[in-house]
Amino acid sequence: MSTSLYGVIALAETAIGLLLMVRLAIGPTISDRIVALNTLSTQAALAVLFFAAFADRTIYLDVALWLASFSYLGAIVWARYLERGLL
Amino acid sequence: MKTVAFLVTAGIGLAFSLSGAVGILRMPDLYSRIQCSSKTVTMGALPALIALVVGEGIDSGYASRALLIAVLLLVVNPTASHALARAAYKSGVPMWSGAVRDEVAGREDSQRRREQDCAGPE
Amino acid sequence: MTLFWTLDYLVLALIVIGTVLVVRLRNLNGAVMALSAVGTMLSLIFVVLGAPDDAHSEVVVGAIALPVLYLVAIGKARTDVAGGGEMQEEGESHHDGD
Repeated sequence: MSTSLYGVIALAETAIGLLLMVRLAIGPTISDRIVALNTLSTQAALAVLFFAAFADRTIYLDVALWLASFSYLGAIVWARYLERGLL
Repeated sequence: MKTVAFLVTAGIGLAFSLSGAVGILRMPDLYSRIQCSSKTVTMGALPALIALVVGEGIDSGYASRALLIAVLLLVVNPTASHALARAAYKSGVPMWSGAVRDEVAGREDSQRRREQDCAGPE
Repeated sequence: MTLFWTLDYLVLALIVIGTVLVVRLRNLNGAVMALSAVGTMLSLIFVVLGAPDDAHSEVVVGAIALPVLYLVAIGKARTDVAGGGEMQEEGESHHDGD
């Protein structure tokens, strides 16, 4: 297994973020942007995972774990803000 | 053999992730976009994580974190999508004009009244 | 090595796009959301450049805590404004004080 293959996959997962950034820019309602942001966070977690395999450092994997769990927290916060407002 | 399995699973994951992103970009409606965000992106993430497990071996440090993230995504992603769709429906985001029916429309009043009964002082 | 720099410049391009969105979006909530996207991409570039500890703190602070603080500030400031005017999108007028 060549490590450059991992780099190519990390690159592709990041390039998907460009499409999501377009939806983040033009989203007609506020919820469209939340959907794009949540998906962008998931793609960033996948890119960090494959970049960790590409760079051969195990310690980068924890960042992916934090990204995956904190994207959930962000989505819950935004949903609560939409539903009744914070505070 | 391992390379072929890695390429097949990673290709499936990348194809699903790309189709999910194109769906988020092209779907006419918020609820359709939430569907793309929930199901298709989870289906795109899981084969990619399995590809990492296949490529690095099941007993490496990568596999444990990848499987943990897979379980986390399986639990967390539908929950977040459900909360988001519920909040969007309650805040009155319009449906697509070609949408066929709204299953929750009749229950909205009773649901809201029940929540007002259950809601404590804040 | 050129693959590494391609990934680097791609993430940099995403950061620049997000930052331009923060400045250019007319909707306040959308601008805060673009700020959260910038935080996520900034944590990704910290990982790419080899600083995972900064990436940890950037995930917590830049992607979650800072947008939540901005949301609280916007929610507190906007209760005084009668009707959002052009700052408002459809489907977010219910908890403003209208």
